[in-house]
Amino acid sequence: MGVVSRPVPRVDAYEKVTGRAKFAADLYFPGMLYGKVLRSPHAHARIVKIDVSRAREVPGVHCVLTAADLPAARSWFTYLFLAEDEVRYTGDAVAMVAAEDPDAAEEALKAIEVVYEPLPGVFTIEEALEPGALQVQDYAPGNIVRNSHWPVRRGNVEEGFARSDVIIEREYRTPFIEHAYIEPEATVAVPDPVDGSVTVYGSVQNPYMTRRYVAAALGTALGKVRIIQQTLGGSFGGKEEVMGLMCGRAAVMAVKTGRPVKMVNTREESFVESAKRHPFRLRYKIGATREGRIMAFEAELVDEGGAYNSQAQFMNWRACVHSAGCYEIPNVKVDVYAVHTNNVYGGAMRGYSSPQVIFGQESLMDELAEALGMDPVELRRKNALRFGSVTITGQKLDDQPVNVLAVMERVLEEADYFNRREEYTRQREKGGPRRRGIGMAVSYRGCGLGAETADATGGLVSVQEDGSVIIRSGLTDNGQGLSTSHAQIVAEELGIPLSKVVYQRVDTSTMPDGGMTVASRGTYTGGRAMLLAARKVKEIIFRGAAELLSCRPEELASSDGLIFCSSDPSKKVSFEEAVRHCLFRGETLTQLGWVVPPELPWDRPTGQGKAFPTYMYSCVVAEVEVDTETGQVEVLRVTAGHDVGRAINPALAAGQIYGGIVMGMGMALMEEVELHKGVILNPNFDSYTIPTSLDMPEMKPLLLESEDPVGPFHAKSLGEPAMECVAAAIVNAVAHATGRRVRSLPANLEKVLLGKTLARS
Amino acid sequence: MHKFDYVKARSLEEALRALSQGGEKACALAGGTDLLVGFRAEDARLRHIELVVDIGDLTELAYIREENGCVALGALTTHAAIAESSLIRVAAPFLATACSQVGSPQIRNRGTVGGNLCNASPAADTLPVLVALEAEVVLRSLGGERRVPVSRFVEGPHRTGLRPGELVTEVRFNRPLPGSRTCFIKLGRRKAMSIARLSIAVLLRTGDGGVVEEIRLVPGAALPVPARVTAAEEILRGQGLTVELAREAGEKLAQEMVRITGQRWSTPYKVPAIAALTRRAILTAGGLEDVATRSQA
Repeated sequence: MGVVSRPVPRVDAYEKVTGRAKFAADLYFPGMLYGKVLRSPHAHARIVKIDVSRAREVPGVHCVLTAADLPAARSWFTYLFLAEDEVRYTGDAVAMVAAEDPDAAEEALKAIEVVYEPLPGVFTIEEALEPGALQVQDYAPGNIVRNSHWPVRRGNVEEGFARSDVIIEREYRTPFIEHAYIEPEATVAVPDPVDGSVTVYGSVQNPYMTRRYVAAALGTALGKVRIIQQTLGGSFGGKEEVMGLMCGRAAVMAVKTGRPVKMVNTREESFVESAKRHPFRLRYKIGATREGRIMAFEAELVDEGGAYNSQAQFMNWRACVHSAGCYEIPNVKVDVYAVHTNNVYGGAMRGYSSPQVIFGQESLMDELAEALGMDPVELRRKNALRFGSVTITGQKLDDQPVNVLAVMERVLEEADYFNRREEYTRQREKGGPRRRGIGMAVSYRGCGLGAETADATGGLVSVQEDGSVIIRSGLTDNGQGLSTSHAQIVAEELGIPLSKVVYQRVDTSTMPDGGMTVASRGTYTGGRAMLLAARKVKEIIFRGAAELLSCRPEELASSDGLIFCSSDPSKKVSFEEAVRHCLFRGETLTQLGWVVPPELPWDRPTGQGKAFPTYMYSCVVAEVEVDTETGQVEVLRVTAGHDVGRAINPALAAGQIYGGIVMGMGMALMEEVELHKGVILNPNFDSYTIPTSLDMPEMKPLLLESEDPVGPFHAKSLGEPAMECVAAAIVNAVAHATGRRVRSLPANLEKVLLGKTLARS
Repeated sequence: MHKFDYVKARSLEEALRALSQGGEKACALAGGTDLLVGFRAEDARLRHIELVVDIGDLTELAYIREENGCVALGALTTHAAIAESSLIRVAAPFLATACSQVGSPQIRNRGTVGGNLCNASPAADTLPVLVALEAEVVLRSLGGERRVPVSRFVEGPHRTGLRPGELVTEVRFNRPLPGSRTCFIKLGRRKAMSIARLSIAVLLRTGDGGVVEEIRLVPGAALPVPARVTAAEEILRGQGLTVELAREAGEKLAQEMVRITGQRWSTPYKVPAIAALTRRAILTAGGLEDVATRSQA
């Protein structure tokens, strides 16, 4: 391989490290106004009256709008651009203004008079499920998020439990977690004075989804809305709904005033209105024979969707598929569903339910091992999926490598797991307040969207007459490095230097809707579309080159900008020359590659079918030192191995693993959005703590490769798997160190010391 | 956004005049690491401020010196400067430790000892140490100068005895007697950018035969006002230092905390944690091996 499998520098590294990259907040247009939103101070209230007359008098104010002024107050999945008569959480907006400077906009917000009638609300999963509970959304009876229930029925759990020698039941909890991307949300909407269309620049993760919101807000056709993604300062699943709402609002005000309108969230606004990782209540019953063979697995997994939800109905499908982990279990009964509350809404966040589900299920495995008096690794060895195994959702894994055990054994070895486990167990028995522990977790993850929705997307490769190549994807670079991996794939396939490839950001008017940049599908699916497009172009160029070299196209190969005859490399022509030859003959060297989604049957009532074409496998080992007198946990070392199929760029892949470890560590030990009656108590990074560089452990990433039959150059998913079993491994290590298990995240000072939650009231 | 007038003082005289004119509605700006954050958050405590006097250029207020056994820190001395000062590292090492653990390098480079005092956060890193050092605050105004012990200057959470027209110009303390040993331990939720959940400052001096002659114990983020916990100190004074006595003193200090503050949501955590931290700090200062202050490896 010439370009693929090499740690080449990111194609966007230079612009970022020199500060030249333009984020949405860096954009300025002549006549630009600044938009601001007034949000509800109440988690649930009736809007009795809104008086904006004084706000309209504030000098510099160009428009003050309420729901009554909008073509549509509601967006896709009922999120509100502006609330009409009721607010359902503290992020709901009631009015918005555009003014000549941010101060005037602020002043206008303060001049808006809103009379609320506060109403009682529901703020926990338990409250939401109580019979006769207040209904958060009238279309969601019992507060169950529409379409969010995903069952799995396999075998007969009653029989399975009857044949079990040991049965344990456990409950685990996870909190709301903030994405904590470094760049708060920003957009500029620019109206076209001639045709009424609007161009929106923004920090958007999913431009086509954002376009849907903007078109709805304006009451206009999708074709009249153009979304251009700006360099993104992180998203992790976060810049979806919140960006749709922000861009929709900015577009309405831009069209109303005829001026570009910029909106930039403060960190506090970002905390209040952006999606959070769904909290889960994970209840399990698991039974095994004395020898450690798992006979039955029963689970009720309930997640909190908050006031609105457009994700649980998809995300919970993934949760049901992966609910029992990477194990072969004959009898399974799983129910996953989400509830509405008057809290901030749950959304997509790196892992899309897996980090929560794996925390519960891999904690459960350790607890089952303990109940069996068995080593936790041994229990996993006995039950792990193998080649030919059938998953709990009825998929026979006989058409791909199944690497649970291979990955697990390799990581355990690299981490020196068994020696350290024994050593720390011995030390623990000696006593002393500082104790070390080592724990592990394994997982598998379906690559791409699978049976959730059509995993289709496009890639455009356009070769210019000088041999340079423009590439465009329908998927976005959110900082994860998609532009680099796509450029590498195209350069490799065409046999040209990486420097010839120019990545252009997503513009919804120049590429067909390729779905969302989610599910770790950027390389796995998006890269495949790029490869298909590059192959189409290459075929044409090779035909031209064959003419010039008087040989057959099948005899040709290319590398480093030269096309040559494989049997006689002295017969060669430059890539540019072949390109010019084709173009002068009137050929087009612009081709669209389109990934056609595979057929994946799914039976919803039983949760049986083919969930994903292929899976990737992960194992993480964590070592901690716990101060048992203060509850302080230091993560000393994390070894993380992932079956990535092929690392298109090993440096970026390792970067994903480092980032995933730190994010997983935050989830394990310190991150929690604290809420009181729907009000977020810690809406900035002084009180919402994420790990700093000084907290990072020694990290050892292992890129384990295999022959995946689907992905481009065998590449599989990595972005989400990189963080999904980290929290479970750390919490298992804490339990090993202390002999006491924390079943509710985060395992913060109070919980580790006291074994219970202390809540600020 | 809060609106206020802004004056950049070019001399101490000019700063004092501006503060005097502004009276109750004026405040001084040094590093700005608390004040500007407060303005942005529209902090109610700052609502009355109409004049901000920027003293950031008064380099004459940034110094660390010793005169006749008295160590003086200019109010504009940054946390970074104190942490790096060879004088402080020798004379009062726990002050250097406390300053080295404030926020981040950026905050330590801007934040000042005078500002940390005036902000009077119960979780301030320098306050327990300054109280343990029995430091005094030097306050200047057009009317003259007065000196107040830090323990009295801080009157409550984010409340001080600073009068209108006054400026903190210096913090001073007598250099601890030879043989004094100190320790400061901060407990946070992470290793940097961390607001103390608890902290403890200990100054300890033993005489012949290892008898504790002087002991000062000041917890942070535990009491509304940083103060020595004398009931805990008495357990140690005049005794030979042992692990058992240190443990007793730690437990006493925790009891005193509860007696003063009452039960709060965090009390069940803070009681065992401050007792352990206090025991460790005493033993560390006393040069006794404590199994807990070392890690296993």
